[in-house]
Amino acid sequence: MRRAAAVAVVAVLMMAPPFLTSNQFLLHLAITVLLWTLLGVSWNLLGGFAGQVSFGHATFFGVGAYATMILYLRLGLAPWYGMALGGAAAVLVSLPIGLICFRLRGPYFSLSTLAVAEIVRLIALNWDALTNGPVGLLITALPPVRLGGRVLDWESKAPFYFIIAALAALAMLATWRLSRARLGAYLLAIREDEDAAESVGIDTVRAKVLTLALSAFFTGLAGGFYGLYFRYVDPDAVFPIALSVEMVFIAVVGGLATVIGPVIGAVFLTTLGELFRERFQVGHLIFYGLFMMLAIRYLPEGIWGGVRRVWAVKR
Amino acid sequence: MALLTVSDLTRDFGGLRAVDRFSFAVEPGEILGLIGPNGAGKTTVFNLITGFLRPTSGQIFLEGRSIVGLRPHAVIRRGIARTFQLVKPFPRLSVRENVTLAAFTHEPTRRRAEELAGQLLERMGLGDRLDAPAADLTLGAQKRLEVARALATRPRVLLLDEPMGGLNPREVDEASVLVKQIRADGVTVVLVEHVMKAIMRISDRVVVIHHGEKIADGPPDRVVQDPNVIAAYLGTRVA
Repeated sequence: MRRAAAVAVVAVLMMAPPFLTSNQFLLHLAITVLLWTLLGVSWNLLGGFAGQVSFGHATFFGVGAYATMILYLRLGLAPWYGMALGGAAAVLVSLPIGLICFRLRGPYFSLSTLAVAEIVRLIALNWDALTNGPVGLLITALPPVRLGGRVLDWESKAPFYFIIAALAALAMLATWRLSRARLGAYLLAIREDEDAAESVGIDTVRAKVLTLALSAFFTGLAGGFYGLYFRYVDPDAVFPIALSVEMVFIAVVGGLATVIGPVIGAVFLTTLGELFRERFQVGHLIFYGLFMMLAIRYLPEGIWGGVRRVWAVKR
Repeated sequence: MALLTVSDLTRDFGGLRAVDRFSFAVEPGEILGLIGPNGAGKTTVFNLITGFLRPTSGQIFLEGRSIVGLRPHAVIRRGIARTFQLVKPFPRLSVRENVTLAAFTHEPTRRRAEELAGQLLERMGLGDRLDAPAADLTLGAQKRLEVARALATRPRVLLLDEPMGGLNPREVDEASVLVKQIRADGVTVVLVEHVMKAIMRISDRVVVIHHGEKIADGPPDRVVQDPNVIAAYLGTRVA
């Protein structure tokens, strides 16, 4: 009950910013944070709960982005359906990847996801007929959408804010449900010891493939959103290793296997990244990297894990 | 009919034949000891039966139905549970959660699964450690936790891989009592063990494996006098 109330409060807070400000830059920043939140939450489903550290989630982001763009540009499909299909496309791609990479465990699994992501990036870069290669795909104007008798203004940030806030909330809700479901308990068992998990009757391959699919779905939705928001995708923008790594950082710094952890991670790292960029300009990534080292050394359970530990001690 | 039948089981690791045309049967309700010198292939046999390894050739039947090729989770759901030689608890999960996960195999609701887990842990003397992380338990307690976890899947056959290894004499005695209790509850037990005194005392029958082959099969008192067994353990006199 208390957790349900907490979820409701978070949901209301998430929808508030466009009512509080019409400053486009601030809204853009909030959209960025929520996009990273969605990505961190998605990655956490597999990496946090099941302990399967993927370094290749950019694949699902890129596939979602390209699917959405291609469906609109080539087939004229309304981008909002395209975004959902982008998620579905990411799921389709995740199935063979899961069946191949989950044959490996631990660091070998992680490396295999990295390799697969690079292969997919190179395919996107070279399959000109489908992806327009390194030039990328551009949407010049989004089609008008009527909502409650009004035409949505795509030049304003507000509609995008609501869409990404809803998606992030949906992913958090899915995490919350998963954490209370039997599958969630199975994933923690797999994280702890895969052989032992099999020995208590858990079909570990099935559980991992299902979770990867769920994780890929939300990551693909995020990719679709990215494409529509920036109206432009190219392989370097949506398939880079840096994107995969950033998703890992957000979940780890925030707190693995929690609902709220990746949200904290996204808020923290996005803000910090902007601050460092502003202050140090050229060398900002050095400070970012230094911060990551400190965070991992002193807060191995992430910010949220640390907060919970302090709470537990106080009570 | 035998409950579990292993026939001509063979497993190669590269050029090494770890298990060689190994056959034995387990009768319902017995305690069967599987013994042999280090590296004889005992744990490999367990891994083959439970699906953690695939046999190179040979067959395994549970009540006449082949279980070869099933993955471990499916074997467990057919009624063969196991513990591990090197304990594998879920270290960061609570003692209760460790066993609850196993009870999910036949208890669909969390409440019922936790109840069953509590009962089993009580019986294993872990009733006062329910909320501790499994990693905090002593080795002896972790071994009992693994037995509780295996029993929570409601097995017909329980394979215990060195349940007494690394335990002190008092714990060994307690473990012996526990194994007999488990059998009294209707679970057939196969155990691999190095603690000879204990295994000779609690087993109804003993199978001896050496270099992957069966060299003896019979009641404990007869097996210990078998010249082949003595030779395997002590070596032969160079005349």
